[in-house]
Amino acid sequence: MSEKTIVDARGAFCPGPLMELIATLKNIAIGDEVDVWSTDKGSVTDIPEWCKKVKHECVGVVEQQGYWSVLVRKAK
Amino acid sequence: MADNALYILLCSGEREKIQMAAMMAAVAAVSERPVQVFVSMNAMLAFDKNAPLATRYHGGAFAKLLHDQKAPDPMVLFQQGKDLGDLKMWACSMALDIQGWEMSHLDETLFDGPLGLTKFLSDAESGQFVTL
Repeated sequence: MSEKTIVDARGAFCPGPLMELIATLKNIAIGDEVDVWSTDKGSVTDIPEWCKKVKHECVGVVEQQGYWSVLVRKAK
Repeated sequence: MADNALYILLCSGEREKIQMAAMMAAVAAVSERPVQVFVSMNAMLAFDKNAPLATRYHGGAFAKLLHDQKAPDPMVLFQQGKDLGDLKMWACSMALDIQGWEMSHLDETLFDGPLGLTKFLSDAESGQFVTL
């Protein structure tokens, strides 16, 4: 059963949300997910691009009220 | 060093340029690109570990905005790049001599040692080179 960790990076400037995601990925198991909450517009493109480059899975990006939720699954 | 390595020659003491160098270094390092940063000239002054963070940088309008908006300090970003990726930082040996500084004047957790420009340029032949 995979677990989901929420990283509330709202208010953090680029590249803060990405760096918080990466630090969290180091401490979870393969298959677990991280839901990054970000108010940084760049996260919407930066996090999926980073996932593609380093071979993690970006499950989806959802716009919430005043922030974005970017869901990432640790793949390796 | 891999051919996708990023080499950053950081000479400016302006907050804006040091911020961009730190952002590039950190993001590239965590994106599986080896990164090396060579710090020289006015940029060296910003890495004086005895200087208060608030007075380390100078700059223009955007430097003030970065400070007022509490953007992440460049030193924190460099450290994150080192902790989470393959980022090496070198202090220009000439700039150290001119300043009369030893490596102990700089944050030892950030820097990997002193280096000459010749060695840095030689290593950088195999990668992408950026000057700030």
